[in-house]
Amino acid sequence: MAEHAIVVENLVKRYGDFEAVRGISFRVKRGEIFAFLGPNGAGKTTTVHVLTTLLKPTSGKAVVAGHDVVDEPMEVRKRIGIVFQDPSLDRELTAYENMYIHGRIYGLKGSELKEKIEHLLKFVELWEFKDKPVKTFSGGMQRRLEIARSLLHEPEVLFLDEPTIGLDPQTRAHIWDYIRAMKEEHNMTIFLTTHYMDEAEQLADRIAIIDHGKIIAEGTAEELKKLVGNDVVYLKLDAPEELKCLRAEFIRGCKILADGRVALEVENAAEALPRLFELVAEKGIKILEVTYHRPTLNDVFLHLTGREIRDEGAENPMAAFVRMRMRR
Amino acid sequence: MEALTTMAYRQLKRFARAKSRVAGMIINPLLWLVFFGMGWSKVFDNSMARTVFGGVDYLTFLAPGIFAMTVFNQSFVAGVSVIWDKQFGFLKEVLVAPASRKESILGRIIGDSLVTLTQGAIILALTFPLAENLKPSGFIPALGVGFLLAMAFSGFGVSLALRMESMEGFQMIMMVLMLPLTFLSGAIYPIDTMPDWMKALAYVNPLTYAVDGARHFLVGASVAKFSLGVDLGVLTVLAAVLVGLAMAEFERATIG
Repeated sequence: MAEHAIVVENLVKRYGDFEAVRGISFRVKRGEIFAFLGPNGAGKTTTVHVLTTLLKPTSGKAVVAGHDVVDEPMEVRKRIGIVFQDPSLDRELTAYENMYIHGRIYGLKGSELKEKIEHLLKFVELWEFKDKPVKTFSGGMQRRLEIARSLLHEPEVLFLDEPTIGLDPQTRAHIWDYIRAMKEEHNMTIFLTTHYMDEAEQLADRIAIIDHGKIIAEGTAEELKKLVGNDVVYLKLDAPEELKCLRAEFIRGCKILADGRVALEVENAAEALPRLFELVAEKGIKILEVTYHRPTLNDVFLHLTGREIRDEGAENPMAAFVRMRMRR
Repeated sequence: MEALTTMAYRQLKRFARAKSRVAGMIINPLLWLVFFGMGWSKVFDNSMARTVFGGVDYLTFLAPGIFAMTVFNQSFVAGVSVIWDKQFGFLKEVLVAPASRKESILGRIIGDSLVTLTQGAIILALTFPLAENLKPSGFIPALGVGFLLAMAFSGFGVSLALRMESMEGFQMIMMVLMLPLTFLSGAIYPIDTMPDWMKALAYVNPLTYAVDGARHFLVGASVAKFSLGVDLGVLTVLAAVLVGLAMAEFERATIG
């Protein structure tokens, strides 16, 4: 088995004049959770559709689970599972029937299929609702059913396109638990797209930040945050101006702000704080206020693009509206 | 084969779920049969009219036509319902599956045809007590004719739905197609007494051959216009072509 579950080289997808994906390259290792983080319209879903053989790329190469998506789409389809951004269930049928039909199409049958359906519906806690039509399900229940369905044929690589979009915080946390359990129990490779920073940070081993069809940064959450700089501790000290800039080997920079507070750059604020307390105690200085700031992925995005990732609604109110309509 | 049987199974399951809708679908042809058919049957209750209708009473003449009309209508609607799968996303689930797409859509068309045929069979069964001269032995063979017709128009509906983005245009197409095709099929009056230009249209109307074929089995060769071979031949070729087109179209289908 190859080391990489997904290899993408210089992938381009164009619709007429519009270039949705503009030459991206990345690799996803087996057994890792890889997140595509970016605003709506960044090209995340288009990439997923190319990798899952539903769209033909304009140029470039993509190999998923050892097979080229253009040359051997059937081989790829056998080895992947996908939860689409928009629901893709048969609403008239029951949860069980949806699972059963999926299993049959993927070549499962008999007692093996029955056992797997039962196991997975119990895994996502829908077994007691198995005979209810899907149209009576809440958004979160539908999502869980789709996750169960995508696991039925034991895919090598699982694609989750915005798995928690439109769900309430509790349900989101619940879905995250399932995703972690899938990785741990099945050592599955998971490719996930999201525009929620917390989701990428909570789940992903590595994150690629994508904007306007290009990958603008890639790495672990910690690595990405380093791009922005250090943690900053803000102190309000009861001390004369010249004593405010504390000196120690763990303090990398110091600035006195207009309001009189002092901003200290440190590598890790959590570890620096106790040492700072000791330091000021030694000097007999009193601390009046302490706050600190650690760079977030949002800061990283802001740093790289000059925009906030959450801003896409404000930047283009129509986009959010159109998405709502499409998801209906 | 798995994809074919599974998709056929899905269509039958959905049908079984929607019993109330089934009743609604049967009402329209029943209105035709009862009000239109029984209304005119008294007008045509004389020997001269009987000659025009091939020597049988009007309801007997009309019954195969209503049967074919029902199958034609419902199979077209069923085929076009692929558009709901597009909108509710189930289509993606099929497109991303490692199964033959040709088989999947063929399975769906067969499933839809069986559903349609069930509705046609109910209508046909209800006409037997009303029409005097229908042959019970023709019931099953007439369903065979109906199946060919259903396959053809389910296939046509699927092709159409794959090109459409919404249901809105579909109502128009229904209106434009359904009534003229029914009028020009010899279902409610014979083709022989039509003006020549209408006759020409009737000859190119596929529904004509389904009505005629059903009449062969349900009433008798003397009432039919074409030979049974022509009727079945035309329907078989038509079904093969339209289903083939739907399969080719589905094979190429992408999303977005």
